[in-house]
Amino acid sequence: MSKKDISDYLWDGSGEPDPEIQRLESVLGKLGHRGGRPVFPDAVPTARPWWSGLPFGWPLRIASVAAVLAMVFLWFLVRRPKPGLSTASGWEVARLAGAPRVDTRTIERANGRLAPGQTLVTDSRSRADITVAEIGEIEVEPDTRLRLLQSGAARKQLALDRGVIHAFIWAPPGQFVVDTPSATAVDMGCAYTLQVDDSGAGLLRTTLGWVGFKLDGHEAFIPAGAVCATRPGIGPGTPCFEDASPAFRAALARFDFGPAGERASSLDTLLDQSRKRDALTLWHLLGRVDTGDRARVYDRLAALVPPPRAVTREGILRLDQSMLDSWWNELGLGDVSLWRTWERSWSASDHKLR
Amino acid sequence: MSAWTEGSGDAALVEAARDGDRAAFGLLYDRYARMVHGVLLARAPYSDVDDLVQDVFLLALRRLPSLRDPNSFGAWIAAIARNRAHDFHRRSREDVELTEDVCAQEDLSRAAPEADAASALGAIRSLPEAYRETLILRLVEGMTGPEIAARTGLTPGSVRVNLHRGMQQLREKLGYGSG
Repeated sequence: MSKKDISDYLWDGSGEPDPEIQRLESVLGKLGHRGGRPVFPDAVPTARPWWSGLPFGWPLRIASVAAVLAMVFLWFLVRRPKPGLSTASGWEVARLAGAPRVDTRTIERANGRLAPGQTLVTDSRSRADITVAEIGEIEVEPDTRLRLLQSGAARKQLALDRGVIHAFIWAPPGQFVVDTPSATAVDMGCAYTLQVDDSGAGLLRTTLGWVGFKLDGHEAFIPAGAVCATRPGIGPGTPCFEDASPAFRAALARFDFGPAGERASSLDTLLDQSRKRDALTLWHLLGRVDTGDRARVYDRLAALVPPPRAVTREGILRLDQSMLDSWWNELGLGDVSLWRTWERSWSASDHKLR
Repeated sequence: MSAWTEGSGDAALVEAARDGDRAAFGLLYDRYARMVHGVLLARAPYSDVDDLVQDVFLLALRRLPSLRDPNSFGAWIAAIARNRAHDFHRRSREDVELTEDVCAQEDLSRAAPEADAASALGAIRSLPEAYRETLILRLVEGMTGPEIAARTGLTPGSVRVNLHRGMQQLREKLGYGSG
């Protein structure tokens, strides 16, 4: 083989270096994988396909599966609904445990469907899995009440009245939305767990990508590894990373939802205990602290993550939206323009509906 | 403390991950992330690849029970990555009509520091798919031929052929000396 065939260098990096390949490695190596290991959700072991347990080889397994499919097809032909009684809309619901219900119908052996206007309810021993119209999956934990509000091409909207769901969504950002009694969670390309208690208080924990949480213009961005609480009548609190110190997290809870008299001392603790990673929390605090405290938050955040050149102290103190957004993008936690685009399209579609 | 080491076999890691061991799945991530990144970069815009890598591993975690042969984890997750990239383009086309040229000549100026990288990547992406993927794994991800074979499930002979022919075509496209 000549040098231009396959050199040892091209094969395994040994032998005489090839300057052309070295140049390409130098230029292209910058595009290689660098990301650290993400936070994976708790890997709940899922049942293996039932046919994997059949005690014979693949030809017989395939024949068995074909026979079952044929029976299912025949059953479908016999039981299919009359024209006009469409069941095509809605999302497929599979039982994982117990006896989940869609409205009054219990889901047992056969999968059910959750159509707009219907409610999925699990009791203390039931769990279910929803396939969301080709854009994701939702696992529904026990004691959960979930309503499907709409399932259009541009927007899929649920209401979680109480309970816990784990959502894994691969739809374009902003298409999948879950209302809770105290905030709306907007998927921006992610996996997350959302829980709501009987009082309507909620907690959102993002495991992949990021999620927006909003209520009446009060908004929070929650990247992977972070959590955010929400309360009825108040809306989303301030997000923080789960690995923040206990003192930091306790101070944040007091700042968001504690007595007004504790806000000042809580803010002192937050500024004092913040690490670089807590820039997530400090950025959100800029718009939440009293005007007189904003400069202190600015100074601490600027010390941890210097603002981009176009962002001025004066602009941040008057809460200039474009400067806040620019600084957010500097944190490396996601591009806020996705959120702004979603907000515009959401407002426009709401306007059309009126 | 995790009992897993760099030397732990794929099959053992897959079995443990199926039973909910996140440390085992984390090691699989460490072992295969570069390969998945390269497979995706051969097909999807650079700015989306990191997110797609995470999607692929999360999908794999959820579908792990359906993997019949734990020893073929590499080939299996490579297939998921190719499908995910395909799905990405299908969905993109629903919003914006993306042409192959747009994909091949994407503007990396904001996402990557080097304009040279954009043109070199564009040249690789214009090659046949098999060469494209293998060359990206070698030149971008820094994997050796034997590593590419071990991770993707391709035979060493196939990898060797892909590298050889792909590199020949790439040299021609980039106007490198032929002698």
